[in-house]
Amino acid sequence: MGKTEIPPGTLYMLILRSLDRNGPMHGYGVAQHIQQMSESVLQVEEGSLYPALQRMLIKGWVKAEWGLSENNRRARFYKLTPAGLRQLSAEVKEFARVMEAITRVIQPA
Amino acid sequence: MERLGELGRRIWFLLRGNRFNAEMEEEIRFHLDRKAEQNLDGGMSADEARYASRRRFGNAALLKEKTREAWGWSALDRLAQDAKFALRALRRSPAFSLIVILTLAFGIGVNTAIFSAVNALLLNPYPFPQPDRIVSVEAQHISGKNSNTGYQDFLDWQRQNAVFDAMAITPWTGEYTLTGQGEPQRVAGGGTTPDFLRALGVQPILGRFFTADEDRPGAPRLAVLTYSAWSQRFDASPTALGRTLVLDGQQYTVIGVLPRGFAFPGIETCDFFTPLHGASSLGRTQHQYGVLARLKPGVSVEQAQSDMSTIARRLEQQYPATNTGWGVKVQPLSAALAEDVRTPVTIFACTVGFVLLLACVNVAGLLLARTSGRAKEMAIRASLGAGRFRIVRQMLTETVLLGVAGGAAGILLALWLMTVLRKAAPQEFALDTSLRLNSAVLLFTLSVSLLTGIVAGLVPAWSASRAEPNSTLKNDGNAWGRARSRNRLMSMLVAGEVALSVLLLAGAGLLVRSFVAALHIDTGLRADRVLTFTLDLPEAKYNSKDKVMAFYRDLVERLDQSPGVESAAAIMTLPMSGGMTGGAFQVEGRPKAADWVDTMVQYNASIPGYFHAMGIPILRGRDFNQQDSASSLSVGIVNDTLARQYFPGQDPLGQRYKDDYDGKWRTIVGVVGSVKHQQPMKPPVPGVYAPHAQWTSSWMTVTVRAHGDAAALTNSARAAVHGLDPDLPLVKVRTMRQVVSDSIAEQRLLMQFLVGFGVFALLLDAIGIYGIVDYSVRQRTREMGIRVALGASYQSVIRLVLQRGTLPAAVGVLVGLPVALAGSGILRAMLYGVSPRDWAVFLGVPAVLLLIAAGASFLPARRAAKVDPIGALRCE
Repeated sequence: MGKTEIPPGTLYMLILRSLDRNGPMHGYGVAQHIQQMSESVLQVEEGSLYPALQRMLIKGWVKAEWGLSENNRRARFYKLTPAGLRQLSAEVKEFARVMEAITRVIQPA
Repeated sequence: MERLGELGRRIWFLLRGNRFNAEMEEEIRFHLDRKAEQNLDGGMSADEARYASRRRFGNAALLKEKTREAWGWSALDRLAQDAKFALRALRRSPAFSLIVILTLAFGIGVNTAIFSAVNALLLNPYPFPQPDRIVSVEAQHISGKNSNTGYQDFLDWQRQNAVFDAMAITPWTGEYTLTGQGEPQRVAGGGTTPDFLRALGVQPILGRFFTADEDRPGAPRLAVLTYSAWSQRFDASPTALGRTLVLDGQQYTVIGVLPRGFAFPGIETCDFFTPLHGASSLGRTQHQYGVLARLKPGVSVEQAQSDMSTIARRLEQQYPATNTGWGVKVQPLSAALAEDVRTPVTIFACTVGFVLLLACVNVAGLLLARTSGRAKEMAIRASLGAGRFRIVRQMLTETVLLGVAGGAAGILLALWLMTVLRKAAPQEFALDTSLRLNSAVLLFTLSVSLLTGIVAGLVPAWSASRAEPNSTLKNDGNAWGRARSRNRLMSMLVAGEVALSVLLLAGAGLLVRSFVAALHIDTGLRADRVLTFTLDLPEAKYNSKDKVMAFYRDLVERLDQSPGVESAAAIMTLPMSGGMTGGAFQVEGRPKAADWVDTMVQYNASIPGYFHAMGIPILRGRDFNQQDSASSLSVGIVNDTLARQYFPGQDPLGQRYKDDYDGKWRTIVGVVGSVKHQQPMKPPVPGVYAPHAQWTSSWMTVTVRAHGDAAALTNSARAAVHGLDPDLPLVKVRTMRQVVSDSIAEQRLLMQFLVGFGVFALLLDAIGIYGIVDYSVRQRTREMGIRVALGASYQSVIRLVLQRGTLPAAVGVLVGLPVALAGSGILRAMLYGVSPRDWAVFLGVPAVLLLIAAGASFLPARRAAKVDPIGALRCE
C-alpha cells in the first residue's frame, strides 16, 4: 500500500487528536503517531508539520515546552490547551459532517 | 502566555526572534537524528541512514523560513534581510557604490536646491495671510510700458479708490549711517506710508506702526524695527520702545517692532521702516514709487482694475501735462514679481530635470553592467529556490538603498547649494530670506530618491531575474545570447545619456559664448585698472552744498597724489551699477514735448576728470573744470546718442537745454562718447552730465584709475577717505571690471550652473561609456584571445573595442543634435551676440562628446589588446 499525503485541512485535526490522546508530544512523536495509527497510510511531511505547529502556537491551540525525550535528549513538547480542545471537537464534528456527505454522494446507487 | 492573544504572541515572538531560530534548529536536528536512528534500526548504514533522513526531510533552510513565515513578520523580516544582503553587496564594491551614490547625490541635490528655489519663487512666494488678495498697482503708459508711480498720483489713487482695504508705497530703501552705538555703521531703512503693514496683513509684535498724521511733512522722525534689528541692537527688550536711533545725525524714535521672519522682496536688508514725510513735495512725473494694495473682501482683480482705470482717466483730464497717456495696471503681486523670474527659473528647472534623468540613466547603465557581472550569483540564488520576484526585490532593495543614500548626501549638497544660491541670486529674486528647506521640499527629495532607486534599478533587476540558472552556470551559448541583448540595452542607455548631454552642453555652450560676448562688448568706457567705491555724506555733518563739494574736491586731490593713482574723479550714478536717474529734457527754442516719457534722458553729475578716469572719449568741446562753480554759467555735457537724436547735422556746442533739477538753462560745452548704463547688452540711452558744483549730490561713486592693479589701491583709497572723515564708511568697493561683470550677474549665474551641469554630464558620459566598454571587454576576453591567437593586430583589437564605446555615443549625438537645434530657441532671450544655432557650439559639442567617448573606451581597449591568448582561452 502506497503512502498518502494528508488531505488538505485535516492536519490540524490530526495533530490535535494525537495530542489529545497521548498528552504532550514532540514533533517527531506526532508524526510517528499519525503514521502508526493510520497504519502507514498517512505520511506527515515535516515541511507541513512544523509550520502547522507554529501556526497552532500562534492561535493558542497548543503550548510548547522543552523537556526530555524518551532517549534523554532535549526536545520541544507540544501540549493541548483548552482552546485547542474546543477547536478539536469543532473540527471533528465538521469533518464527520463532511465525510458523511461525501459518503452519501459516492454511494453506489 | 495564552492570555496575550494572537497579536501579543506575535510581538512576543518578534522580540525573541534569535532564540526562535536556535530552538527551531534544535527541534529539526532532533527530528533528523531520531529519523536516522530509525533508519539505522531498519538496517541501513550510518551514512545511508543520515542521508535518507535528510532527503526525506527536504530543504531544512526552506522549512525554517516557512516556519518563521507562520508568524507573519516575514515581510518585514525579508526586507531587513534584503537590506542586509544589499549592504553587504555594496560594501564589496565600494568604488562602484561611491560613484553611484555621488552621481545620485548630485542629481538629487541639485534638484532639491532648484526645487526649493522654484518653490520659493513661483509656488509659495509670500508668508502673508491671503497672499492672493495682495495686488501690485503700477502706472502703465499707452506704449505698454509699466512703471512705478509719482507720489501725488499715489495719493489720488489712495483717496479715490473704492476697491482696496489698504494701499501703500513699497518701502523706498536708502542707506543711513548709524551712530551712537559703538562704531558708525551703514544700515538700510525703508520709507513707506502708514497702510503698508495693513496691506500685507501683518501686525507689529510690539508697539505700533505710524499713522497718517505722523506721515505728514515735518512730523517727528519715527522708526519701526525689524525683528532682527530689535534683537541685535536692543537685545529684544520691550524697553526699546521710545528709545532713539541716530541715523545720518538725526534722531528717530522707535515706536514698534515687526514680527520675526517679516520679509518682502526688495527690502530684505532693511533694519527699520520710517514715514516718507517729505515725499509730498515730489510731483507726478517722478515715477519712483512702487505701490501695493489689499483688495476689499469680494472684490476681484478685474473690478479693481476697472475702478483704477476710471481714476487714471480722471487724472489724465485733470493733469494733462503730466498724466497724458498714463493708465493703471492692477495685477496679483505674485504675478508681478514672478514675471521677471519665470523664464530663467523654467530653464533651470528643465535643466536640472535633465541632470537627474542623466544621473538615473547612468546609474541604470552601471547597475546593468554590474548585474551582468553577478549573473552567476543570481543563478545560484535561483537554483537554491529564490523566486523571480524575490530576485527582483533583492536587486531593487540594493538600488533603493543607493537611492536613499544618494538622497541623504543630496540633501547635504542641496543645503550647501542653497547658501550659494542665496548669495549669488540677483536681488530681484529675493532668495536671501525665502529660500528654505521645508517639508514640501523634503518630501520631494524623498520621493525623488526612492523613485530614482526604483527606476534605475528596474531594468537591471528585470534582466537579472531572467537568468536561467542552468545555462548561466554552464556558461553555454544561450547565456552568450543574453549577454548580447544586455549589451544592446547598455548601448541604448549610453546613446540616451549622450543625447541628453548634447542638450545640456549645447545650452551651456551658448550661454558661455553669450557671456563672453557680453563681457567683451564695447561698453563705451575702459573698465580695466579702475577702482570704484561709493560714499554717502551724512546730511547732519555735511549740511551745505559747499561742505559736500569741498569734501569731494579734497578727496579727489588726495587720491590724485596717492602712489599708483593715475587720476581720480567721481560720478553720481556709476554706469552698470544698477541705478539710473532720469527725467525730462527740453532744448531751448523748441516746444516742450507733451509727453515727457518720450523725452526722458539720463541725468548724471560728475567731478572734473571723470571722463578721463573712465576712458570715455570727449568727442567735442571740453570736460568740466574748476571754473565751473555754483555761481558761474550753468553748463552741461551731452553724450553722442543724445547729440545724434536732438541735434542731427547741427553743432550741439553752445546750445542750451533744461532738466528737472533746477530749471536753469544749461549751455552745452562738450559731447562725450555714450556709455552702456544698465547692462553691456542694452543699448546706450541719451544722457546729460552736469558739473558736481552745479548739481551737488552727497551720494557719489569715486572712480580711481590706477597705473597698475586697481584692486591694490583699496587700502590707499580707504586711507584717503578716512584722512578726511574717519566716520565715513566706503560702500561697494569694486573694480570697474567687477561692476560690469556684476551687472550681468543673472546671466553669469545661469551660465555657471549650466557649465557645472555640462561638466557633470561629461563626467557621467565618461563613466558610463567606460562602464559598458569595460564590461564588454570582460565578457569577450575569450573572443579577444581567439582573435589575437589567430593573428589580429594590436591596432585592430583596439579599433574593435573603441567602436564599442564610440558607436553608441555617435548615435546619441545624432539623436541629440536635432533636438538641441530645435530647442535652443527658448534661450534666445538670454543670449547676446550669439545665434541660438551657433555653429561653433553645435560642432564643438559633438566633437567633445566623441572625444570623451574615445578616451573612455581607450583604457579597456588597451587591456583587451594586451590579452594573453593562452590565459584567456584557458580561463573559461
